[in-house]
Amino acid sequence: MALRDSLSILVVDDMSTSRSLIIMALEEMGIKKIDFSKDGPSALQSLGQRPAHLVISDYNMPGMDGLHLLHALRQGKTTQKIGFILVSGRVDQKILSTGRQLGMNNFIQKPFTTPQLKNCIQQVVGPL
Amino acid sequence: MSTANEIRQTFFQECDELLEALDDGLCEIDEGIADESFDLETVNAVFRAVHSIKGGAAAFGLDALVHFAHQFETVLDVMRAGELTPNDDVMKVCHRAADHLSDLVAAGRDNEIVEGDLGTEIAAKLSGLVVGSESAKPDNDTESETFGFVPLGLPIPTNTDDEDQELALNRFCVRFTPSAGLYTSGNDTSLLFRELAELGELEVTAETDRLPDLKNVDPGESYLSWVVILLTEESEQSLREVFEFVDGLCELQINLDLDATMPEGSPDATKDVDDEAQASSGVAAEESDSPTMVAASSPDSGTERAKPATGPKATVRVNLDLVDRLINMVGELVINQAVLTQCIKDAGLLDRGELSTSLAEFRNLARDIQESVMAIRAQSVKPLFQRMARIVREASELSGKDADFLTEGETTEVDKTIIERLVDPLTHMIRNAVDHGLEPPEQRRAAGKAETGHVKLTAAHRSGRVLIEVSDDGAGINREKVFQIAVEKGLIPGDSILKDAEIDNLLFLPGFSTAKEVSNLSGRGVGMDVVRSAIQKLGGRVSIFSQPGKGTTMSISLPLTLAVLDGMVVDVAGQTMVVPITAIVETLRPKAEDIHPLGADNQVVSVRNKLVPVIDLGVVFGHRRTPAPISDMVLLLVESDGSESWALAVDQIFDQRQVVIKGLETNYGHVPGVAAATILGDGNIALIIDPEETAHRSGPVADVGDRARLEEV
Repeated sequence: MALRDSLSILVVDDMSTSRSLIIMALEEMGIKKIDFSKDGPSALQSLGQRPAHLVISDYNMPGMDGLHLLHALRQGKTTQKIGFILVSGRVDQKILSTGRQLGMNNFIQKPFTTPQLKNCIQQVVGPL
Repeated sequence: MSTANEIRQTFFQECDELLEALDDGLCEIDEGIADESFDLETVNAVFRAVHSIKGGAAAFGLDALVHFAHQFETVLDVMRAGELTPNDDVMKVCHRAADHLSDLVAAGRDNEIVEGDLGTEIAAKLSGLVVGSESAKPDNDTESETFGFVPLGLPIPTNTDDEDQELALNRFCVRFTPSAGLYTSGNDTSLLFRELAELGELEVTAETDRLPDLKNVDPGESYLSWVVILLTEESEQSLREVFEFVDGLCELQINLDLDATMPEGSPDATKDVDDEAQASSGVAAEESDSPTMVAASSPDSGTERAKPATGPKATVRVNLDLVDRLINMVGELVINQAVLTQCIKDAGLLDRGELSTSLAEFRNLARDIQESVMAIRAQSVKPLFQRMARIVREASELSGKDADFLTEGETTEVDKTIIERLVDPLTHMIRNAVDHGLEPPEQRRAAGKAETGHVKLTAAHRSGRVLIEVSDDGAGINREKVFQIAVEKGLIPGDSILKDAEIDNLLFLPGFSTAKEVSNLSGRGVGMDVVRSAIQKLGGRVSIFSQPGKGTTMSISLPLTLAVLDGMVVDVAGQTMVVPITAIVETLRPKAEDIHPLGADNQVVSVRNKLVPVIDLGVVFGHRRTPAPISDMVLLLVESDGSESWALAVDQIFDQRQVVIKGLETNYGHVPGVAAATILGDGNIALIIDPEETAHRSGPVADVGDRARLEEV
C-alpha cells in the first residue's frame, strides 16, 4: 500500500481559500486522510484527539501563528514527533531560522503548484 | 471537494471580510493616534488582512492585486516593526491604499482591469513612506529554490497493511479508588471497566491492601482500589469521560505512561474498539479543551497577549438565489394561506372552533417562517457605512474641505437588496453633504466653527421602518438662493409664498441644481430628484431638514423588507385597498361634533384637541367625485416621519393581514400615492397605498395656500 493512502495530514490555515487550495492539491496527489483546522489552538486540540503524521500550517494567522503552533507541537509529548511544513507568502530568513531551531521539517512559499507541494512533502516523508 | 472555481468565489467572499477587518483596523489606528495609544496587535491584524488578500490573489494569478497588496503590506510591515509611526498623513495614504485595494479586489472579481494612474500614484506615496527603511528591503535576496532551508526528513513507516491501523497507542495508567458514596449512589465499578475496555486493551488489577479481616468488614464501606492499564488510541479526555458520572465519588489518577507509548504497528489492540464509542467520544471531545491545548497556549512570546479572537460566528455561505427562491415561495405561501382562509370562509366553515384555531396557527407559522427568511436576508449596514467613509475621504480631498466622518447604528440590519440599492443615493447624499453642505475652512473659521467639518451617518429602526440620516454641520440651505433658482428655472411661480420646509424640498424637484458651476463632485448631472426616485423605488421616503448656520439633515425612511408587509385591508368606494399598518397610529369613528368643515370641500377632525386634515381616499384615487359624509366613514390616523398627521377616510375596514408586495414600478413606473400592489385571498389585486404621498397629493388640502390657512385654524 502506497504511503499516500496511509499518510494523514492536518492542514491549518485561518483563510478558507488557502485551506481549500492546499486540500485540493493534496487530493490531487491522492492523499486520503486529510483533516483541517482553522487556527493553532484547534489544531492542537484536533491532534490531541486524532494524531496526524504531518501538519501543513500557514504562518500568518491571528493569535497563534504557524511558528507558535510548531513550538507548541514540539512541547507536547504526544505531538512532538509530528512532521511540520510551514506555508508562508514571504520568505523571511528570521522565520526560517526560528523554524529550523524549532524543528520545522520543511517550508513552502505561496503561491505554489501541486507538484511543488508534492515535492515539498516528499522531501519530508519520502516518495508518496 | 471544491473546484478551483468555487475556491475562487470563496476567496472573493473572504476578501470582503478581510477588507472590512482592514478598514476597522485602520480606523482603530486612527483613534489610537488621537489618544496617543498604539496597539501593535491592531497593526498586526491590518497587516494580516492585506497579506492574506495577497496570498489568495497570488494563487489566482491576480497580478495587479498581488503587486499592490505587496507594496501596501511593505508599509504595514515597516509600521509594525516600529520604524514608521502612524500619523494623520501616513494614515491618509493607508486609507487610500485600502480603498484602492478594495477596487482591485472588485476588478479581480469581475475580471476587469482598473484603469488610470490612481494605483501608481498611491503606490508611489506608499513607497515614499518606507524610503530607507530596513524592513522594506525586497525579499528577493532570499529567493532560491530551497530558501536555504534543508528539509528535515520524517520516517513514516510504510508497512501498513491494516487499513485501520492507527498512528500511536497511548498507555494510560489509571488509579481508581471509589468512595462508599459511589456504591450507595448505585454505580457499579465493573460497568466502568467494561466501558474502559471499549476504548482499548485493558488490564485491571485490584488492590486489596486496605481490606480488613472479615469480622471487621463494614458492608457499607469501600475498601478496594484498582490500577488499570489501558492501551488506547483515545486521549485522556475520553478516559475521563468514562468516569464523568462518578466524579467526586472517587479518587482518580490518570497518567500517560510516555516511555511505554507503543510505537505504530504494536499489538492490534484496536480490534475491540467499538465504532460507536469512538464516534461519541470524538464528538464530545470537540467541545472540551484538551490538556495539550492549555499547555500550548502559553509560548513565550509577546504576540500572545493578542486580544481574544472574537467569538467564532458559525456561519454558512448560501447562494443568494436559493434565499431569493425561498423568499418567493414564502410569499406564495402567504398568498396561499389567504386564499385558503377565504375558501373556508366562503364554505361557511370559519365558525367551527377547531378549524379557525388551526387556521390561526397556520397563519402564525407562515408569519414566523417569513420573518426567519427575512432575517437571512438582513445584513448590517456596516459595509455600506464603510463605503461611505471612503466617499467622504475622496470628497474631502477633492473639495479641499477637511471632514470628519461619524457613524451611528452600524449594526442596524436591513434587507440586502435595500442595502445594495442604497449605495448610489447615499453616495450622492454624502458627496452633497461635503461638497455643498460644509463650508470651506476659511468660512467655517469666520463663523466660529472648527475648520474640520463633520458629516454624520446614522441608521436606526423606528416603528417598523429603517431610518437613515445624513447630516452635516455646515451652513445649512441657503433658502433665498434656492427659491431664486427655482423661480429662474420656472419650477415655481415667482410670487409663491413657501414655508421653509417647502423651500428645502424644492431641492428634490427634477432639474434643480444649486451648484453654480458643475463641480467635480456632486454636480454630475444627477440631482437630488434622482436620489428621491431611487429611494421611492425602495418604498422609502426622503426628507430634508435644515437650520441656517447649523447644518442640514437628510432622512431616508425605508421599509424593513421589500417582500411582505402588514396591511389593513380597507374598502374605498367599493375598491379594496391596503394601508400599511406601520403608518397607522390609530383608527377611529369620528363623532359629529369633532368634524369641522374647512373651505368648501375640505374637513378637519379634532383628535384630542389637535386638528387633523381629513383625506377621503375615494376622492384622491378618483373613485368618487365629492367626499362622502365623514360620519359614515372610518378614519385611519396616519403620521409622517416628520410628525405631520392626516386622517385617511375609508368606507370600512375588512381585515388586518400580511400581504405580499408585488411591485408595479417595472410595468407602470411610479404611480403617486401607490406603493405597490398585492394579491388578495380571493385572487383579486389590491393597491397598497403610500399614506404620506397620498396625503401630499390629496387635492386642495395639500395646496400650499390652503395649508397655510389650515395652520391658522
